[in-house]
Amino acid sequence: MAGITDLGVGIGWRSEIDLTVERLPGVDFVEVVAENLHIGRLPESVTLLLERGVPVLPHAVSLSLGGADEVDLNRVEHLGGIAEAVGAPMVSDHVCFVRAGGLDSGHLMPVPRTKDALDVLVANVELAQRNLPVPLALENVAALLEWPGGELTEGQFLAELVERTDCWLLVDVANLYANARNIGTDPERFLDEIPLERLAYVHVAGGVEHGGVYHDTHAHAVLPEVLGVLDELCSRVKPPGVLLERDDNYPSDTEIATELAAIRAVVDKHRG
Amino acid sequence: MIDDNDSPAARERLAAAQAELLNALLANGPAPAGFDEQRLDVERRALLSKRRGIVRMLGPAVADELGERFRPLFDAYAVAHPRRAGSRAREDAAAFAEWCRAAGELPVKRKARWKFWQSN
Repeated sequence: MAGITDLGVGIGWRSEIDLTVERLPGVDFVEVVAENLHIGRLPESVTLLLERGVPVLPHAVSLSLGGADEVDLNRVEHLGGIAEAVGAPMVSDHVCFVRAGGLDSGHLMPVPRTKDALDVLVANVELAQRNLPVPLALENVAALLEWPGGELTEGQFLAELVERTDCWLLVDVANLYANARNIGTDPERFLDEIPLERLAYVHVAGGVEHGGVYHDTHAHAVLPEVLGVLDELCSRVKPPGVLLERDDNYPSDTEIATELAAIRAVVDKHRG
Repeated sequence: MIDDNDSPAARERLAAAQAELLNALLANGPAPAGFDEQRLDVERRALLSKRRGIVRMLGPAVADELGERFRPLFDAYAVAHPRRAGSRAREDAAAFAEWCRAAGELPVKRKARWKFWQSN
């Protein structure tokens, strides 16, 4: 199964910035949040981008594949339906759980890095893969807390996941930075431990510090340190694509264009 | 850790641990063993803040009307009514408004204004 190549530099399509995404130069691909779209009623802006030949990759946030609850196949089916509607080569969600014990956290919660959690994750991912029309990539999340009893590093945990499920990896360098700041993960060690040949693409996002804790808000500027992690990644592998995520507190078109250009400059630095 | 490759058993253990964590973070349950309490607090506040922001976005009229009371009222509502799996954000916003009305914090009969909610 071939990966995806040469996506270039992209941005997360959001309805609030649909016109911005359409008119910005240098948007080579976009991602859409699968849960926000309806099959058969794609937003006009997404259709326009598809007509221009811009690849559109569905990204899910609610499969809860790291959760102990049974996988909700309706959610998987919706993700697959969106993939088919936009002709996507790949879909993604996160290595996380969202729901447990009948409650919904409303966020992407880290899973314990134990054999138990890995076994459950692998079983869930395999079930999702069997019900998806295209390959699945899974993303590392930003964690504000550490589970006790971790048996593997985050990199080892993801490497095992790839080994056992043949999934792809979506590496979020802002989450790597957040975890370095908040729970002491070593981004370089992470990059050493994951199978970079299974890298689907990369996420970059902004955040802010509050009271000594770095929050991955997707609502603030991208820190130079996050681009530093991207630089580190690019020194090891040419990423098939890099995508900027901005979800709130939207800045001007110029500011977004500047962030995209900064990302492209890091990627290009390692070319040739 | 119990040495056991049985997947149903692994799933059960994980289910209990994840449920205990969410109960602590979302419903004021006891802190699960082995977690850093300060980190639990940080996470609890982050999840609450995200949920509050979504409800504010979905129901700006309610937030505006409550003004400075919005935040403390929402935080009290949220811990007493953690979001149930399968519920939607707009149901959360509606339930909060209803809770405020029942508590006399908002006048009743505001329904007409809710028709204009954007979909999530």
